[in-house]
Amino acid sequence: MRSPFHSEPEAFRFLLLVILAMLVIVLAAVLGSTWLALAVLAIIVGALAMRITQLRMRRSLEVPLKSAPPHLGPAAERRVLVVANDTLSEQGLLSEVAMLASAPGTHVLLLAPALISPGVRVAGAVDRPLDQARVRLAAALDRVGHDLDVEGEVSAADPLEAIENAFATFAADEVIVCTRRERARNGLEPRLAGLVRERFAVPVRHLVLEPGCSAQEPDKDTEARYHNEAVTRKGRQVVLETLAVVGILASLLMSMIALIRSDQRRTEVAPPTAVLRPTGAAASISEASLAAAKVVDVSVIPEYKLGPDGKKHDAFTKTEFAVKVGQPLKLRIDNTDTQPHSLTSPEVNVNITAMPGTHTYTLIVTQPGKYQWFCVYPCDSGANGWAMKHPGYMSGYITAS
Amino acid sequence: MFSGGSPARAVNLRPEPWRWGHPRVLVEHPDEAAGLAIASALRFAGYAVAVCPGPPGRGQCPLTGPEGCAPAHDADLVVCCLGYEREAGQEVLRALRTRHPNIPVLVEAPSDMDADLRALLDGCDHLPAPSTPEQILAAVQSLLGQASEESPSGA
Repeated sequence: MRSPFHSEPEAFRFLLLVILAMLVIVLAAVLGSTWLALAVLAIIVGALAMRITQLRMRRSLEVPLKSAPPHLGPAAERRVLVVANDTLSEQGLLSEVAMLASAPGTHVLLLAPALISPGVRVAGAVDRPLDQARVRLAAALDRVGHDLDVEGEVSAADPLEAIENAFATFAADEVIVCTRRERARNGLEPRLAGLVRERFAVPVRHLVLEPGCSAQEPDKDTEARYHNEAVTRKGRQVVLETLAVVGILASLLMSMIALIRSDQRRTEVAPPTAVLRPTGAAASISEASLAAAKVVDVSVIPEYKLGPDGKKHDAFTKTEFAVKVGQPLKLRIDNTDTQPHSLTSPEVNVNITAMPGTHTYTLIVTQPGKYQWFCVYPCDSGANGWAMKHPGYMSGYITAS
Repeated sequence: MFSGGSPARAVNLRPEPWRWGHPRVLVEHPDEAAGLAIASALRFAGYAVAVCPGPPGRGQCPLTGPEGCAPAHDADLVVCCLGYEREAGQEVLRALRTRHPNIPVLVEAPSDMDADLRALLDGCDHLPAPSTPEQILAAVQSLLGQASEESPSGA
């Protein structure tokens, strides 16, 4: 498989950068919090995106420069680079090559870029297309005849790159690109001729070969159509890439939201809160002691807590309450259910009915001791009211001291 | 540029202005066919060539921007046929003179220049406006001959 890096040092640099970035993220997670690690990740991803954008911008800034090597040998000598693969068996191409090569002082290089689709290239399965190109080229050279000055070369590189590489060793005075009339999956792209013309300051001919027809050169309109089709494809590719980037960002965002939520849930559970309505004894508390009372937040959530039976049961997020005798405890209860629930302990005359929604209630116990409370409203119907009888679910203890 | 060793795939980075050795001539010509004709004449005289159409209608020539122009930087000579009635053409030439004062510039310019233009072209060799590729080739050959005498490494 071809490396996407241009050199070994570049690959090592990339590897080191990745390791460094990972280290920084891990360090941030260990020393700081998950949030710090996320922030570091966001910064790294942002920097990467900026760098990529910058490189792309630079590429788009490039001038449309055409270059060419100096002509080699005496002025009368000609070097012609013929690029073909799927059309190598066409008689039109072979007779063109034979005609060129029979002119005195003319060297022909028949370049067959292997037809490797991007997917195959990534998978590294380049042997079969390479062999196919070799076989086609050998057959074509046999048919042209070995007494003419025609050489063959197979390249595993992308066609345009293969041509650039060929220019490094073969100072072509002319390039002939042979393709089918229409773009096919298993053939050289007709647009290749235009790309070569844009890059090299030598004459470029485009030969269109179809079985049973003589070689033709497409007119300007057709070349323009090839160009437009290529631009459309490029546009589609950009859209797909954008979608991919949006997808990555969305998944990052979603995982962040999930993290935030789980964080919130944890804080909810840690200092649990209960919701109860003051009745009876609560009426006798003075305003001053009410003001001094602290507020405990509790939620009532259906199917909140996993029981020993493996099922989820309705539960209060906090079921143990500690109070000072005679001192009010404010409970802000968020009943997320659609029906009321209660915190009831007949022994100490406590009966707080928590209506759906968030309301604040006052809990007052007038004698010391540990008292069990329970919910009087039928609940946990999925498990026949199991939670109503089990402390930690829809029941619990109030400890007064 | 390929300097021996394995020629393949070593250079893939763009811009890859010069894949060929010296002497190198950069031809700036707004007309594609004319630029290619000059390039062809230069190629057959043994020069590596690059042809640039100059700044496009909109957008900026990298030579005048912060990026700079790698092909101009590595050229041994620049043939400038951009037409100096255009603001953009003047800008390019000014940038070329200030950024690369050591690179000789051959300018194709009309003979009836005004004073400003004459000042701008001071120090460059110039040819009358429509010159044939042969005339330009002859001028390049005489210029690069002088250049190689001054700096033998440039040849």
